[in-house]
Amino acid sequence: MNNVTFAFEAAWKVLLIGLVLGAGLPTLFAFGIRTMAWGQGGSAEVDTASAPHPVGRVIGILCFALVLLAVFLGITYIVAYGFGKELSFEHVYPTIQNKD
Amino acid sequence: MLVVVTALAFDFTNGFHDTANAMATSIATKALQPKTAVALSGILNLIGAFLSVEVALTVTNAVVKIQNKDGTPKDALTADGGQALLFIVLAGLAGGIIWNLLTWLLGLPSSSSHALFGGLIGATIAGLGFSGVNWNGDGSKLDGVVGKVILPALLSPVIACLIAAAGTWLIYAVVRGVAERYTNTGFRWGQIGSASLVSLAHGTNDAQKTMGVITLALIASGHWTDTENIPFWVKACCALAIALGTYLGGWRIIRTLGKGLVEIAPPQGMAAESASAAVILTSSHLGFALSTTHVATGSILGTGIGKRGAEVRWKVAGRMVTAWIITLPSAAIVGALLWYIGDVLGGGLIGAIVVFALLVAAAGYMYFRSRQKPVHAGNVNDEWEGSAPSADRTPETV
Repeated sequence: MNNVTFAFEAAWKVLLIGLVLGAGLPTLFAFGIRTMAWGQGGSAEVDTASAPHPVGRVIGILCFALVLLAVFLGITYIVAYGFGKELSFEHVYPTIQNKD
Repeated sequence: MLVVVTALAFDFTNGFHDTANAMATSIATKALQPKTAVALSGILNLIGAFLSVEVALTVTNAVVKIQNKDGTPKDALTADGGQALLFIVLAGLAGGIIWNLLTWLLGLPSSSSHALFGGLIGATIAGLGFSGVNWNGDGSKLDGVVGKVILPALLSPVIACLIAAAGTWLIYAVVRGVAERYTNTGFRWGQIGSASLVSLAHGTNDAQKTMGVITLALIASGHWTDTENIPFWVKACCALAIALGTYLGGWRIIRTLGKGLVEIAPPQGMAAESASAAVILTSSHLGFALSTTHVATGSILGTGIGKRGAEVRWKVAGRMVTAWIITLPSAAIVGALLWYIGDVLGGGLIGAIVVFALLVAAAGYMYFRSRQKPVHAGNVNDEWEGSAPSADRTPETV
C-alpha cells in the first residue's frame, strides 16, 4: 500500500502550506481590521471611549496590502504554472521564468 | 456526438452542484446578494476554466484503463470505430449526472468528481470487467482509485477542517475588543475575496476533467488526433457549461452548506473560504487530487469548531458524510446499469440513444420533483428548521 505513504506525504505538506496561507493570511487580515479599529477608535471599538490612533490606520492598510500581495502572487503562480512558467524568488522580488 | 452533449451536461451539473462550495458562506452571511454571488462565481469559473492550460487528457487514467499513457485510447477499444470506448464513457457520464442531480434534489453537497469517476468506474467494470479499473496504481506514485480518489477524500476534509478551525480561532482572538459591526463589514470584504479564489480554483480544476473526457471521445471516434492539445471549441464549451451551471445556482446545496451545517458569521466565512482556497490550490499543485466539495464542507465544519459557542449540526454533517461514502459506488452502479441496458440493445447507436433517453427522463423527473419544494435565491437564507432536537425535518424536505 504505497499509496497510503504517498498520500500522507502529500497531506502533511498541504496541511503545512494550508495553515500558513489558509489560516495565516486571514489572521493577518484580522490583524489589519484590529489595527484599523484601533486607529479609528470610538464606536469601532467595544470600549467606545478609546481615542483614535492614526498609526493604527497605517499598520492596518499595510496588513491588507500584504494579504493582497500574497493572493496576487498565488494567482500568478498558478496561472504561470499552467502556461509552463514558474515564479522564482531568487532575485528577492518575484520573477516569472520558464519551468526547468 | 451524444458523448459530447452528455459530457457538457455533466459539466453543467458540476457547475451548479459546486456553486455552493465557493459561495454558500458569502450568501449566508449576506456579504453578497445571492444573485450577485452566483454571477461572480460563474464568471470566475469561466476565467478559471481558460486559465489552466495544462493538458487534462489523461484524467481518466487515474481510475480506469481505457487510455494509453500518452492519452491515446487503447487500441482494443477503438477497433470498431471507437464505439466500445465511447459507450463506456457515455454510460459513465450519464451515471455521474444522474447521481449529481439526485444529491442536488436532496440538497446534499456530494462530490462531482466522485460522481464522474464513479460512473466511469461502473461502466468500465460492466464493459471490461474488474481488471479494467486502475484500483491501486503501479506503486510509483499516488495513483489509482485508492490513491487518487479514496485517500484524498478521507484526508482533505480533515485537513481543511483543521486549517479553518485554526484560522477561525486566530481571527476571533485577534479581533477581540473590536465592535461587531466594524468587524463584520471588514470581513465581508475578505470573504468576497477568498470566495472568489475558490471559484477560480474550481474552474481550473473541474472544467479540466470534462475537457479531458470530451477530447478522449473525439480521439476515439477519429475526430481529433493531437494528444498534446485540447480543441479550442471544447475548452470554450466546457468553460461556458460550467459557468452557466454555476450561474443557475444549486440553491438547495447552497442552503445546506451555508445555513444547515453551522450558523456562519462573516469572520468564520472568511476563515472557511481561505482555508478552502489554500487547500484546493496547494493540493492540486502537489498532484493531490481532491474534491472541492469535501474541502469546502470540511472548512465550514472547522469554523464551527473554531468559534467558541458555535453550534455544529452534526446530524446534517453525518448525512453529508454518508452521501460522500455512497457517491462513488452509487454512481458506479448507475453507470454500470446503463451500460448493461445499452449493451442488451446492441451497444451501438440504438443503445446509446436509449441510454441518453433514460438520462433525459431521469433528469426531467428530478427537475419536476424539485419544483414541488423549490429553493431559490429568494428563500435560500431562510432560517434553518430542524435545529431544534425534537424536529425531524432534514435537508430532504427543504
